[in-house]
Amino acid sequence: MSEIFALLIFPSGLFLLGLGMAYEWVDRKLLARFQNRIGPRWFQPLADNIKLLAKEEVVPDGVNRLLFIGLPVVALAGALTAALYVPAFGLPPAYSFPGDLIVTIYLLSLMTLCIGLAGANTISRFSLIGATRTLTQLFSYEAPFMLTMLGPAIVARTWQIGAINEFAGAGNWLLLTQPIGFIVALIGLMGKLEMPPFDAPEAETEIVAGALTEYSGRGLALFHLGKGVELVVGVTLIGAFYLGGIANPLEFLIKTGALMLFIVGVQALMARMRIEQTVGLWWRYGSLLVLAQLLLLLIWETIV
Amino acid sequence: MATSLLDSITAGLKTWARVNSPWAIHFNSGSCNGCDIEILATLTPRYDLERFGIKLQGSPRHADVLICTGPVTRQAHDRLLRIYEQMPEPKFVVAVGSCALSGGVFEGLYNVIGGIDQVLPVDAYVPGCPPRPEAIIDGVAKLLASLSNPGPKLSTPASGAPAESAPAAEVAEEVV
Repeated sequence: MSEIFALLIFPSGLFLLGLGMAYEWVDRKLLARFQNRIGPRWFQPLADNIKLLAKEEVVPDGVNRLLFIGLPVVALAGALTAALYVPAFGLPPAYSFPGDLIVTIYLLSLMTLCIGLAGANTISRFSLIGATRTLTQLFSYEAPFMLTMLGPAIVARTWQIGAINEFAGAGNWLLLTQPIGFIVALIGLMGKLEMPPFDAPEAETEIVAGALTEYSGRGLALFHLGKGVELVVGVTLIGAFYLGGIANPLEFLIKTGALMLFIVGVQALMARMRIEQTVGLWWRYGSLLVLAQLLLLLIWETIV
Repeated sequence: MATSLLDSITAGLKTWARVNSPWAIHFNSGSCNGCDIEILATLTPRYDLERFGIKLQGSPRHADVLICTGPVTRQAHDRLLRIYEQMPEPKFVVAVGSCALSGGVFEGLYNVIGGIDQVLPVDAYVPGCPPRPEAIIDGVAKLLASLSNPGPKLSTPASGAPAESAPAAEVAEEVV
């Protein structure tokens, strides 16, 4: 009974969907304030999602019906499952086993993979270009993002998110010892969520809406909800690893809030990058810098 | 009894969500671009439509409100219908500008069918040449208000199923 409660209502399920929408609102509101606008009302993501869920779902010609309807569900399920292993809202992870960090990283990239497949599934050319760009971006940020999650794991000598969180909570602010990893992780998260300046895969002014061009109604709502959940999981992971651990709800709100300020600041500051600039940024600078830092860490760990 | 209560609650929730989150798509069916520039001005931070939940979408599949400017030319007629039919239900049409209302100065031209309501069922009319951004916001707000307390539908589309059933030439004669 308690497992069903944990899966469907708290801490995963409904609670996390609500939290995801709240963070989406924080993102949009802060961006609006940075742009000298008033911004959306607090219930805006909720209204958007209810409206989309109540809308007609058009299944276009030439698609695999099963994939078209199934992919949004898989994407949302992946994000929600990933949330079970992180200390969301400052509570200890609902489930935990040695090595759950690897599983969480894979579950987080499931979403992008689903968006890519969803775009490739339709015959619309905008969807296809969007899917190509989504997958290109996946291959560029995934390696540096994984490496940044590797750094804290090596220092804490465990693959368990809860244990790394406790290690960071014992006065180890990895932001100070691994600053490069922190920055690359944040930028990698922005790439994962296709936020500006890395929104080339869904650039409105060029390719309509990217891979999700043909989605209407329910599918679009599920992808939106999944992105909100992934945002929460991502900032929780980075906050727990680099900002001295997340032990209670207050710490969660403060640390993820600070991360949101940084993320939205970058969004407001920069214009969209072309896809080859994005790839270049991550492979030429992101990966190399993180690899150098990782090498130093390994040497340090073997000496000490 | 219980089901009817549930129905009314879900219907109320749906209407609330629709009123508070109208995503728009903009189509120019032959306008002189005056109205389009005013629509773009409406979307700038100065008027900040995001406070009403209005977002400009690129894809017709994501949109609820089709904002049309200009008279319907024979060239744009098929494209307009195609965009309209790509939108998922429920969908609404707002005609912006004098030409979109009646054909304006282009009325009676050999290549112009007439106002938007000759081809699509229009839910809100915004007059002006071009209408100010405030007028466009007011038009959309009136459309949203009519969603929460529906009255008689104002517009009379050319036919229930637009497009081929009403040949363009006949429509044009009706206008004249």
